[in-house]
Amino acid sequence: MRKLGIAALGAAAALTLAGCATTGSDVASDEGAEIRVWLVGTDTPDAARDYLVETFEEEHPGSTLVIEEQSWDGLVDRLTTSLSGSDSPDIVEVGNTQAAAFTSAGAFLDLTEHYDELGGDDLLPGFVEAGSYDGKFYAAPLYSGSRLVFYKKDALEAAGLSVPGDLDEYIANGEALAEANPGKSGIWWPGQDWYNALPYIWENGGEVAVPDGDQWDAQLSSDESVAGLEQVQQVMTNASLAPKDGNETNPQVGYCDGTTLQLSAPSWVKWSILAPADAETPGCPEEEANLGVYALPGKDGGAAQVFAGGSNIGISAKSKHPELALDAMKIILSEEFQTIYGENGLVPAKLSLADTLGTDEVAQAIAAAAGNAKLTPASPKWADVEAAGILQDLFVKIAQGGDVQALAEEADQKIEDILNG
Amino acid sequence: MTTTDSGPPPVVSSVDGERLAAPQPAPRRSPRRRRPTGGLTPYALLVPASIVLAAIVGWPLVQLLVTSMQEFGRAQVFGAPPEWVWFDNYVSVLTDPAFYAVLGRSLVFAAACVVITMLLGTLIALLLQRLPKGFRLLLSLGLLLAWAMPPLSATIVWGWMFDTDYGVVNSVLVNAFGLEQYTQHSWLIEPLSFFLVAGVIIVWGAVPFVAFALYAGLTQVPDEVLEAAQLDGAGGFSRFRLIVFPYLKPIFLITTILQIIWDLKVFTQIFALQDIGGIREQTNTLGVYIYQVSIAGGDFGTGGAIAVITAIILMSISLYYVRQTVKEEEL
Repeated sequence: MRKLGIAALGAAAALTLAGCATTGSDVASDEGAEIRVWLVGTDTPDAARDYLVETFEEEHPGSTLVIEEQSWDGLVDRLTTSLSGSDSPDIVEVGNTQAAAFTSAGAFLDLTEHYDELGGDDLLPGFVEAGSYDGKFYAAPLYSGSRLVFYKKDALEAAGLSVPGDLDEYIANGEALAEANPGKSGIWWPGQDWYNALPYIWENGGEVAVPDGDQWDAQLSSDESVAGLEQVQQVMTNASLAPKDGNETNPQVGYCDGTTLQLSAPSWVKWSILAPADAETPGCPEEEANLGVYALPGKDGGAAQVFAGGSNIGISAKSKHPELALDAMKIILSEEFQTIYGENGLVPAKLSLADTLGTDEVAQAIAAAAGNAKLTPASPKWADVEAAGILQDLFVKIAQGGDVQALAEEADQKIEDILNG
Repeated sequence: MTTTDSGPPPVVSSVDGERLAAPQPAPRRSPRRRRPTGGLTPYALLVPASIVLAAIVGWPLVQLLVTSMQEFGRAQVFGAPPEWVWFDNYVSVLTDPAFYAVLGRSLVFAAACVVITMLLGTLIALLLQRLPKGFRLLLSLGLLLAWAMPPLSATIVWGWMFDTDYGVVNSVLVNAFGLEQYTQHSWLIEPLSFFLVAGVIIVWGAVPFVAFALYAGLTQVPDEVLEAAQLDGAGGFSRFRLIVFPYLKPIFLITTILQIIWDLKVFTQIFALQDIGGIREQTNTLGVYIYQVSIAGGDFGTGGAIAVITAIILMSISLYYVRQTVKEEEL
């Protein structure tokens, strides 16, 4: 019994600890190598994945390329532990707003001398900036995606409404739809989905945080930002029946069962909605004709300044096969691979491939949105703000109907603590 | 295991021929102390286990202590030299009201979980003993399945059951019981309700272990003693309190220690539930808080300091119980 007690103590001690050893990696032989590529979420179409694997293995007989899909939830945490370990993946995708956390920490291989080979000035400039640190180029753009509003054409028509021309009309439409259709969301908006709230802040002239010397000044409680946040609250409480503390995964479920009439989501959500009914995450392909899409309108008409979501891709500094990883990276940034992104509604990493988006409704909406996209504060510590869930908590509380000014001040304090900490 | 009923010291120490020899007088310790015949053998036998322990428990512990006294961020993870700050991290943790909120929340939550787990576990163990064979097998199987379920899968499935839009709990409450206020009721948004759901998941997962351990112990309680007590007029509850409980005390102690340790540093269930819903800041417990500060927030120094403090708290609580156990043993 005594032994068991001591063993229990030992186990408790062992389990409470998180040992974190960094071991050096040796560059191994490139023959018969396995390159591990981390792609995040389901954004990258299967056609592109197949193309990458096949092309790489053709060019490098004997070597294999494995794509491991990661989820966006907790990505920063996982990258921190895996990139620093001896079992690091070779190539990883990282959200553009998270890239700075890793480029600044030396987690990625310096690609400055390969900049031109990878696409040079044809690469999306905002993303090149996001993937650079201290004048060095670490993480290339992978793709960009804007947020679009998807809606049910018949519902909008039945309520006697049309595609809104400005932000106020968009909000009014959402409220009118919710009122005309009890039990349904005029604009589906779960509380944790903070990306969608950014345009409201920006369109009202607010900011999340602005640089102030070498410090950051969080701006959520400025008059302009609060005006935007109040609009967010208006939509969340009047137009949305989504769970106040829910997250934004699987928006197609509500759309397909008819309880979501409009929703704002990344452009690739179109394919989630139209996924075959027998797919792993089924959609409702029969809705295709009824699925309308437009860019979120701004306060003064035109496209709103939306969040420029997207990804960068870098080679782990601990990759055992940096040469092969670079070859794989070249395939990822090749015209063929990037064209598949364009054809699937994601903005390719190269400016010259913009026309692969096509000319349909979605493409026009994407072009309109991408032309006016903005980023989160460019601080290496911004990823920590995201990881701490400060914005998720803020908008859950706003969705519950809390006092916007007080909540914004509280969030500002926490954001400054992290950015300046 | 069942030495707790040790009554008075043995009156007979040996049988000498036909006669019973009286026990030797007590102060015989020093003459009886034999010279260690094995020389260094006992120590040599301890070496392998000690090395393994030092490697897998000691080394991480040293690492943790070192990290907790350094300014250790993401850049240091990738190789930048850390700055030595001695106890700065501890000071910043111990002066942060957020830490005390988390600590208090964890203690209360763990206490509630431990009490409920032990209570249910005991009741189920007693039930197992009384059930006919077929049902006992069925119940054991059910318990085993609950026990074998990985906590992450369990949490996700329970999360679905408590889902705001499509959850079976809301659906049953509304459709079967006509409780309209549960239409689209969010179970996780209020911290109290969040911990109710988390508690259900944790207790559900922990009860089988306690039930099995106690059931195993129950089979060791001699029937004659119980029967004698029954004949003397002891009711069911007094028999449990006066006979079964003392017999099983060591098992109760160990399972309680383990439950306290597990519940205080619970991570998976809370972490996964926070993603499904709820407000992180109001629902963080120690395990999740350490993760959030160190791994998600990239501040390993501060996270390490919180982990050391947590370890100290866990040890001081457990030490009390271990001492109790050891005392029992020495009786």
